[in-house]
Amino acid sequence: MSAEESAPARTAIGIGFGNSYSSIAYTTGDGKAEVIANEEGDRQIPSILSYIEGEEFQGTQAKAQLIRNPKNTVAYFRDFLGKDFKSIDPSPCHASAHPVEHSSGIAFSIRDTEAESENTVTVSEITTRHLKRLKTSASDFLGKEVNAAVITVPTDYSVAQKEGLKASAKGAGIEVLQFIHEPVSAVLAYDARPDAKLSDKIILVADLGGTRSDVAVVASRGGMYSILATAHDYDLGGAKLDKVLIDHFAKEFIKKHKTDPRKNERSLAKLKLESEATRKALSLGATASFSVESLADGIDFTATINRTRFELLANKVFGSFIRLIEGAVQKAELDVLDIDEIILTGGTSHTPKIASNLQTHFPQSTAILAPATSVTAINPSELSARGAAIQASLIAEYDTEDIEQSTHPMVTVTPHISKAIGVLCISDDEQKGIFKKLVEAETAVPARRTAHFAVPREGGDVIVKICEGVREIKVSKPEPKPKTNGKPEGEDDVDDDEDDEDEDDEDEEDEIREKVWKAGKVLAETAVKGVKKGGKVEVQVNVGGDLAVQLIVREVGGKGGVRGNIGKPTTVENGSA
Amino acid sequence: MTAVTQVALPLPILPEGWSAEKDFKAVGPLSPPTQRNIEPVGPHFLAHARRKRHKRTFSEDER
Ligand SMILES: Nc1ncnc2c1ncn2[C@@H]1O[C@H](COP(=O)(O)OP(=O)(O)OP(=O)(O)O)[C@@H](O)[C@H]1O
Ligand SMILES: [Mg+2]
Repeated sequence: MSAEESAPARTAIGIGFGNSYSSIAYTTGDGKAEVIANEEGDRQIPSILSYIEGEEFQGTQAKAQLIRNPKNTVAYFRDFLGKDFKSIDPSPCHASAHPVEHSSGIAFSIRDTEAESENTVTVSEITTRHLKRLKTSASDFLGKEVNAAVITVPTDYSVAQKEGLKASAKGAGIEVLQFIHEPVSAVLAYDARPDAKLSDKIILVADLGGTRSDVAVVASRGGMYSILATAHDYDLGGAKLDKVLIDHFAKEFIKKHKTDPRKNERSLAKLKLESEATRKALSLGATASFSVESLADGIDFTATINRTRFELLANKVFGSFIRLIEGAVQKAELDVLDIDEIILTGGTSHTPKIASNLQTHFPQSTAILAPATSVTAINPSELSARGAAIQASLIAEYDTEDIEQSTHPMVTVTPHISKAIGVLCISDDEQKGIFKKLVEAETAVPARRTAHFAVPREGGDVIVKICEGVREIKVSKPEPKPKTNGKPEGEDDVDDDEDDEDEDDEDEEDEIREKVWKAGKVLAETAVKGVKKGGKVEVQVNVGGDLAVQLIVREVGGKGGVRGNIGKPTTVENGSA
Repeated sequence: MTAVTQVALPLPILPEGWSAEKDFKAVGPLSPPTQRNIEPVGPHFLAHARRKRHKRTFSEDER
């Protein structure tokens, strides 16, 4: 009860901390998340620190030092936290300070003071310094000292990595209220919009970053999120696309000047920096310029490239994004038709071709939330930090112990129903009736859903047959079109032969695939008698924490109604995610 | 989730001869569930956690 025990008021922000960029966000008084620009005006702050004569630079200024001062510039370190040296892939740090083995894990040897000698600075200390700078930027903006944060991490960030990050944050004077998963943060950022409608849907979140890309398939049920599957590629991201442009412009340069700028470290660093800028410009414009002063042998280089050319050159890399995403759908044992929404997050998601490729690989029913395909899309570079800021505002007032208890597996690990629950319409014959879903599969229990059903025109006595539903993919050939290429069908043999040749491709394109629901196991039957003409019947399903079901069925506006219980099942299966 | 779904397709007519005590007949339980982790994020989760934690304190009391 002493004064020290009453925790000082928190000022909490959301931090999206990536290997390539970080961003900081806060929630306004009316609950809107906003990303904060640092002193340089950047909302995407390179996660880079650089030291010149003991002076520390961060962000864009530090990134520029990759050209002049790469040895004392530390970049791409987030994934090294809490890891041991043998388990990391140091290749992203090829052109900056190299990670070295250290008793605490990983460190960098850099000249970070005025002295001539190098110091060994642990990745933990580097992270602390980076977070301190982010904290200062946020505090300056908000006009009060930030002392707490929700930080986003990848879905495969280990306990040791989180512990490491937590300790680093503490060193920066930041209490980590909670770590939340990056894809879930993106979903929350969308769901927190004032005009968002809560609906049960399967969301695929593709986080396309700088050095890596991560995909998560998320069941969103009544505003709660469960991850069904994840997929990762630690070598796919914006840097891979930069490489395409680096090679392209290097070849142009060689053609003119007979020297390969990639052979010289400083020239390569210049190529890399400019390639990224050009690539970003191509996300908005149809053409972009590429210009480097003194690229090699003192020769300036200027060129332009148009988007189509870039897309052609990068075709293979684009294919890798699609494969990663489709792989995640398979891992979740779902079909592309099951994906209601794709949220593209991470900076590389600005690339128009990636979003448009997804449009062709997924059915029309899949909404693709990216700047190129949706006018209401949120900036993919900001989603992570925004979601974190929203979560921070939700829990900032909680006691630390409260947060810990709420996020404990005792609370979060929950049975999810494995098959959809619904009602048969039109006919009570399971073969003929049409199954209408009430509760989706992968809904965590307890759960409650209510629906109103129409009755036959004259009203009367009806049956409510509650069943489980099974989703099937129906594949059919379209009705043969009366005409092809303007010629009547069957009149032109040449056309037919052509069709046969690329039969595989054509057939796949022509197939109509659709999702159909079949009634499965019957759970209960209920009669509602004497429903008036034009009346409606309300069905409410309450699935308990133990999977016992309580049903309430009544005529809307009528008296009484039927209540019934279905006992709980006996066994529990283990999920994969 | 208080939103009510509207279904325009009509319910089937009660088959002749159908009868059950209090007009309700349980046929079988749900299929076994899958254990999964709910992401502890967002307002709806916090409401869920509150409910669940209250129940836990109840059962702890019973021990
Ligand atoms: N407008 C844009 N168009 C195309 N690419 C962009 C755009 N803005 C940012 N990027 C790219 O996004 C990548 C950075 O993504 P993000 O900010 O999500 O990084 P991150 O999560 O820190 O990355 P990492 O995968 O290294 O952890 C960079 O390759 C950057 O060039
Ligand atoms: Mg990222």
